[in-house]
Amino acid sequence: MPTLPINLGSYLVNLCSALLLLTCFAIVAQRRLMACVDLFALQSVFLAVTATLVAYLTGIHHIYLAAVLTIAIKAVILPRILKKIVRQLNVQREVSMYVNIPTGLLICGGLVILAFFITQPIVHLGFLLTQDSLAIALAIVLIGFFIMVSRLKAVTQVIGFLVIENGLFLAATAAAYGMPLIVELGIFFDVLVAGLIVGIYTHQIQEAFGSVDTSRLKALKE
Amino acid sequence: MTIFLFLALLLAYACGMLLPLCFPHRPHVQNVMAHGSAAVAGCLGIVLGLIGLLAPEPLVWFLPSSIPLLTFSLRLDSLSAFFVLTISLVGLAVSVFASGYVREFYGRIPVSLLGFLYNGFLLSMLLVVTADNAFFFLIVWELMSLLSYFLVVSEHEKPDVRFAGLFYLIMTHVGTAFILVTFLMFYQETGSFAFEAFRSADQSLPEGLRTLVFWTALIGFGTKAGIVPLHVWLPYAHPAAPSHVSALMSGVMIKTAIYGLLRVYFDFLGGPFPWWWGFVVLLVGTVSALLGVMYALMEHDLKSLLAFHSVENIGIILMGIGTGMVFYAYDMPHLAALGIIAGLYHTLNHAVFKALLFMGAGSLLYATHTRNMEEYGGLLRRMPWTGLFFLIGAISISALPPTNGFVSEWLVFQGLFLSLELPSLFLKLMLPIAAALLALTGALALACFVKAFGISFLALPRSSHARKALEVPVPMRVGMGFLASLCLVLGLGPAVVVPLLDRVSEPFVGISIAGRVFEMGGWTLAPVSGEFSSLSTPVLAIVLAGLTGLGWGLAYVLGGKGKTRFYKTWGCGLNVTARMEYTATGFVQPIKRVFSTIYQPTVKLETEFLEESHYFAKRRHFEFSIEPIFLKYLYHPILGFFSTLAARSRVIQGGNLSLYLAYIFVTLVFLLMVMG
Repeated sequence: MPTLPINLGSYLVNLCSALLLLTCFAIVAQRRLMACVDLFALQSVFLAVTATLVAYLTGIHHIYLAAVLTIAIKAVILPRILKKIVRQLNVQREVSMYVNIPTGLLICGGLVILAFFITQPIVHLGFLLTQDSLAIALAIVLIGFFIMVSRLKAVTQVIGFLVIENGLFLAATAAAYGMPLIVELGIFFDVLVAGLIVGIYTHQIQEAFGSVDTSRLKALKE
Repeated sequence: MTIFLFLALLLAYACGMLLPLCFPHRPHVQNVMAHGSAAVAGCLGIVLGLIGLLAPEPLVWFLPSSIPLLTFSLRLDSLSAFFVLTISLVGLAVSVFASGYVREFYGRIPVSLLGFLYNGFLLSMLLVVTADNAFFFLIVWELMSLLSYFLVVSEHEKPDVRFAGLFYLIMTHVGTAFILVTFLMFYQETGSFAFEAFRSADQSLPEGLRTLVFWTALIGFGTKAGIVPLHVWLPYAHPAAPSHVSALMSGVMIKTAIYGLLRVYFDFLGGPFPWWWGFVVLLVGTVSALLGVMYALMEHDLKSLLAFHSVENIGIILMGIGTGMVFYAYDMPHLAALGIIAGLYHTLNHAVFKALLFMGAGSLLYATHTRNMEEYGGLLRRMPWTGLFFLIGAISISALPPTNGFVSEWLVFQGLFLSLELPSLFLKLMLPIAAALLALTGALALACFVKAFGISFLALPRSSHARKALEVPVPMRVGMGFLASLCLVLGLGPAVVVPLLDRVSEPFVGISIAGRVFEMGGWTLAPVSGEFSSLSTPVLAIVLAGLTGLGWGLAYVLGGKGKTRFYKTWGCGLNVTARMEYTATGFVQPIKRVFSTIYQPTVKLETEFLEESHYFAKRRHFEFSIEPIFLKYLYHPILGFFSTLAARSRVIQGGNLSLYLAYIFVTLVFLLMVMG
């Protein structure tokens, strides 16, 4: 049984969730690709910590396994793959974006408010571990999506996709006390495979168009 | 007991599908295995169908599945059994034929694949008519459509075959969509996909929904059956398939739609329905019959001609069923049963003679490598067996005694004439008009087959193909001979067939008429009473044979004592050549003139004159085509509408990845805001 008082526990979960959200904002504000990858790794570490806390508080053991896998795959393996791609492509900075950084941050702020607004009725149902983590998870999903929309480079779009995944995982652990183990394993495997495929796909775009700028894919339209 | 029979049937088809795949690069072994298994399965299916028809209670098998709403349940009631019997009879004959015909494809098309699809196609049709769960029915229905599509595009290196396949695929899916909607409406009311639930719900459907079910079922199954104006795919797809597959598609596949209509109208909807349902079915049938035969007349591609005749005969079947529905609506069960029996009898007959004729067309294709009738001629001398069988099929489809086509069309006529017992004046007027149009249809069909047989088999060969033609291999002749003899047997034996069909209609209309329609100890068929009308085909056959003998006898007595003189045909002193023969185009000229409002023909005649004098033509170029009315006025506008719509909606296709993501993102945020 948990030795921490349940209040303190939920505060800690909230804190970690908030840190996850903070790293999202940092990614939105960051132009350098290497730093974006690092920030994603950091976010994954926070996610693992949250998962560990939830596992400890609820006593559901398989969430520990999920936390370990998070560290291994999302904080170590995927960032390595992404950094390798960045080095190979020799693109360090994202110069142009569809939305500039200050506007982007403002939109993200709006998304967070939206997330809190729409999760209100669910929070009142009262089965959640903490009050805010579901809203934060939804906000992370939306911001991840926003990153995919607003950035041009394939690498940052991949990071956006992975951020969405992190958000979903947070929602699953913090709100629903984890998914069945087999589902979690499946998702991790999916993410890993997706990372590998996207790596290859980015490489192909680079070869075909001489750039990883996805806006050039317009040329594929007949 | 019957379950073992059914399992053996499944096993035989499975063998036919899988065994040929185990012998790569040996087409002959593959051929024998595939079609041998199919023939064995056909024999088993005939037995199963007879058992099902004679069984007092429907036979039910049941296999649960882990998928929600789906159970693999099968039910063999008399209606299913009748269709199992029809499919198996034709399947047996076609399989024997195919074992010869497929030799043509050795080295061109993988025979193992063809055998796999062929057996799967037959099996899927059997499952369609026995499925007892809407979900399962849709799966096997779709399987049937897809397998037949793959069979149609067997010779996919030809562009017109690919076009025909695509056309068929699109139309059949439009039909399936309507069938799906039909079943979903039942599901909505009953909460189950089991046919058992649909059946017990007969009165519970609200009136509006019943009407909607009537229309969606008519359109959905009608697309498969090829009723006008949904028939447009049929003259493309049926000729494009290999001939033995055409025989199956035209002979039995389109009949599964008749099965579906009977099942939905009489079994599921049940109860009294408004008279205009029957009238609509009758109208659709009449229009299909007439237009089908009229377009058939204009075809010079033998297989397309036969495909249009399928439209005609589906029309005749629907006329029988429509008449039955009208009588059923006025609570006259005896006459309703008569109409349904007429429709079912014609279903069986059409399956038999249409498969026979398609096999005949396949034999001509096999021997001459062309489908164009204008290149045939003089084939009776070269292919006497094929000629004989084709002639029997042609007589049957033209509804001449003593063949089967005559009996069933006679029954349809009886149903239409009996409309004078109806209380409604409108119908009293309309049904005889339908009868008159059916008579016109019959006459035109006869003209069409005089053309088909005369141009193909008589006179001199019109091309080197026809000159070099040889009689087809024995298995092909056996397959045709079986169905040809069946044509005669079904024509002579209504006393046996009608009681069997009566078992099919009995559960629907509630009474059996088998005991009442025969007079003189079963020798005469008299639907109402002997005074009104009666028919005895055996007597008719004897009279016909006697008259023929009498004619011969008189000719012998009065004529030249049977001395045969061999001499050239007199051609005004010229040497008779094939170029002087009546062509198929020439033969139908009068009919084309008479019905020019419908055909809207375009005739182009260009003459090049000699430079010296305008009285001598050097070369004439003749071109004639008829307007495909339905394609032009119905399908092209629809197609144009969707093309325009698609072109308009292309604006949102920016080609930019972020734009697509933004679409999803905006939709997501919008939905969250609205719903949250």
